[in-house]
Amino acid sequence: MRAVASPATGDAGFAVPAARGTWRPWLLVAPLLAFLAAFFLVPLGQVLVMSVTDPEPGFGHFVAIATDGFFLRVLAQTFATALLVAVLTLLLGFPLAYAMAEAGPRMAALMMVLVTMSFWTSFLVRTYAWMVILGKSGPIAWLSATLLGGAPPELLFTRFSSTLAMVHILIPYMVLSLYAALRRIEPAVLRSAASLGAPPVSVFRHVILPLAAPGVVNGLTLVFVLCLGFYVTPVLIGSPREQMIAGVIGHQVEEFLAFGEASALSVVLLASTMIVLGVYHRRFGLDRLWG
Amino acid sequence: MDGAYLEIRDLVKSYDGKTRALDRVSLSARRGEFVTFLGPSGSGKTTTLMVIAGFEAPDAGLVRVAGQSMAGVPPHKRGIGVVFQNYALFPHRTALQNVMFPLLMRKVPRAQAARKAAEMLDLVGLADFGNRHPRQLSGGQQQRVALARALVFDPTLLLLDEPLGALDKNLREQMQLEIKRIQRALHVTTVFVTHDQSEAMALSDRIVVFEGGRIQQDATPLEIYNRPRTEFVARFVGDSNLLRARITDPGAGIAEVEGLGPSRVLPQQAQVLPNGQGTLLLRPEALAPAEADAPNRLVLAVEEVVHFGDSALLIGRAGGVTLRARIGGRAAQGIGAGAQVPLGWRPDAAHLIGA
Amino acid sequence: MIALGWLVAMFVAAPLLVVIPISFSDAVSLEFPPPSWGLRYYQAYFADPRWTQPTINSLIIATAVAALTMVLVTPAAFALVRHRFGGKGAVNLLLMLPMVVPHIVIAIGYYAFLSDIGLLQSFPGVILAHTALSVPVAFLVLTASLKGFDRTLERAALSLGAAPWQAFLHVTVPVLWPGFAAAALFAFVQSFDETVVAIFVSGATTETLPRRMFDSIRMQADPVIAVVSTLLFGVVALLALAAMLRRRAGG
Repeated sequence: MRAVASPATGDAGFAVPAARGTWRPWLLVAPLLAFLAAFFLVPLGQVLVMSVTDPEPGFGHFVAIATDGFFLRVLAQTFATALLVAVLTLLLGFPLAYAMAEAGPRMAALMMVLVTMSFWTSFLVRTYAWMVILGKSGPIAWLSATLLGGAPPELLFTRFSSTLAMVHILIPYMVLSLYAALRRIEPAVLRSAASLGAPPVSVFRHVILPLAAPGVVNGLTLVFVLCLGFYVTPVLIGSPREQMIAGVIGHQVEEFLAFGEASALSVVLLASTMIVLGVYHRRFGLDRLWG
Repeated sequence: MDGAYLEIRDLVKSYDGKTRALDRVSLSARRGEFVTFLGPSGSGKTTTLMVIAGFEAPDAGLVRVAGQSMAGVPPHKRGIGVVFQNYALFPHRTALQNVMFPLLMRKVPRAQAARKAAEMLDLVGLADFGNRHPRQLSGGQQQRVALARALVFDPTLLLLDEPLGALDKNLREQMQLEIKRIQRALHVTTVFVTHDQSEAMALSDRIVVFEGGRIQQDATPLEIYNRPRTEFVARFVGDSNLLRARITDPGAGIAEVEGLGPSRVLPQQAQVLPNGQGTLLLRPEALAPAEADAPNRLVLAVEEVVHFGDSALLIGRAGGVTLRARIGGRAAQGIGAGAQVPLGWRPDAAHLIGA
Repeated sequence: MIALGWLVAMFVAAPLLVVIPISFSDAVSLEFPPPSWGLRYYQAYFADPRWTQPTINSLIIATAVAALTMVLVTPAAFALVRHRFGGKGAVNLLLMLPMVVPHIVIAIGYYAFLSDIGLLQSFPGVILAHTALSVPVAFLVLTASLKGFDRTLERAALSLGAAPWQAFLHVTVPVLWPGFAAAALFAFVQSFDETVVAIFVSGATTETLPRRMFDSIRMQADPVIAVVSTLLFGVVALLALAAMLRRRAGG
């Protein structure tokens, strides 16, 4: 081979940045990284630090959390509620997502509008709506009074009301996750399954369900994690005696300025969230969660 | 080479440092010539095109246009018109605005740019479509806009990267003629990249066949078709029967051909064959229903007949090898599987490729 | 199954619709169904600076957050979509972190952090915190739109004589602007809706609308909240409608 001495070699005239030095992308990312380091990682680090230094250095708060009946009850309550909410959103969300994927384009569009409207409506507004519905002077009470002639049982400020509201608030996440998976199923696959002799029930069990599984896992993870750290709804309409962990954290700070205790609980909440997401990341890659 | 308008010498390009996407590619084109780069995907034809346009930097070698080295010249200063595979029309601009773009970039006053762009749209037959956005145009129309846009600034070269790939068959043929007409009218030196050999045959003054980052052959379409230099070219361009051949009498032009036995070939071809070994290329249409004077004869045991209307392809066996023969549609009437068809071929209709 | 789906769709939609009639109630306190109709709570909302001021605060904060977020996220999104470099995966994960850390956790952090640097209950403090929280969603939206961008358009512009910056200005930006707009909108909404951090770090003069709503709901189920809800709901509906019309117009 003849070596060609050519001025065309690796000169700046070719507008192909990919092969160039690696410092350029870093330059573009640097401002954002610096910002997040200063205004996200530092405050987050402060929580970790406070959990073992406030008011005095040591792991006392964690020992307390691991041994105190109240904290243990709160943790159990939180996980149980998150699990319950996740399962309920799946049970309710699946028919809706399925209907969206199966119904005609108009119907599907209408359902999509309903779900996205709900999705875009503030948590607070949706929580308030449930306060109105379940409240003493709300439609349920009114119906019960006119039809049954008596006041209904106390619904508001119970585990029931906060669970119901959280299911309602988080169901769009589940539906959108499931819908994304269901829509990816090619109609031709279902038709071919049918043509191969599978009755509708079998098509559903052996084709649709397995193909929808990624959406189910996505939805469950998303709802579970969001529910674990849910603050607004349980605080506003949950039972004051059966607080979830986020509510307790807020309470510690607002009422007692007990930053150390709140931080230690925060670390527990953060760790739980990260473990769930870490497992998900290992198996599927985190970027799929919001796919 | 004198009079070369586009000159490419010893281009080398490797993406991974090991395999070569381009391996010492050299070629040239005269002013106004229509050159086609033909080859399968990954053969280096598009890479060469991108090097010419300035989007890829070669590891070594040089590109010269109109006597000027392109080394160090960024794409936007090369003045080379490119039509991309998917047209790459700006979706937010109308057809006219798309065509005006290169003029405005060259600081041509707006009114003048609009006039010139309109003329160019007229030339490609889209005078009435200037106000449409690309998404309101059909594939063929988008193609024409892309062509007008690449030509409006009088480029030194026109590069077309598989521009007809997305069109259906009829439209393709129509656009081929259209491109050829416009190219002739403007007399612009053109490099056309395609993997479709019939497209290459129909359009080009010259075809450069690429494979594995190297140029296999650089010749006129007829030369490529009739006298391919390698088996790859013979296979890639046109339908072919390729049979092992060994020259037994170079003086008289006699060769022992796989399955066909001793056959007459052109002595001048037989004599230049290195060590007397080679491959005999018999295009299917070279096998004609036997005439009395055909020097080489065989009987084809037909296994399958494919009718095209104007012609028919007979696929069958003779002497233990499978052969394809293309005969007139009328002559093929009545021939079915199982028929024994006498065929013959003339030495000048065959071609010997060195092993 | 589809009938069941509609039932769930009703469950998703109906509660929101209960809020609207309440907002037009003329009753002195929360009552359903309202005994009489009127606009008294709309008047109450628009006349009461304790409601209008937080609304204005939230608009100011969300606008600043959207702007700051875009300034930070845009170059980073370009770098991460278009370049390959070591540590890219880690950067991607870091950018997603504000989305996965529960808001109550980071709210405690901000409370301590912002009071340390003297920005607690200040506009800059809320804006900085909200910007960090808006980064992931803006980044996701922008990245998705960037990935869908056909880079041959830029090559085409270069081949037609545009310098790289001209190609960016005349081709990349105009083609991508819906993506930019969507990302900015998501950042805006993220800030405008954000409640938990605002509860802990916004103060008397910087109180945001969600914080005001939260406090108001916690004290009594004031029907003015129905007004705010209805108004917010109207905005969401308008945006959805605009998006739909745009898509239809876009073919």
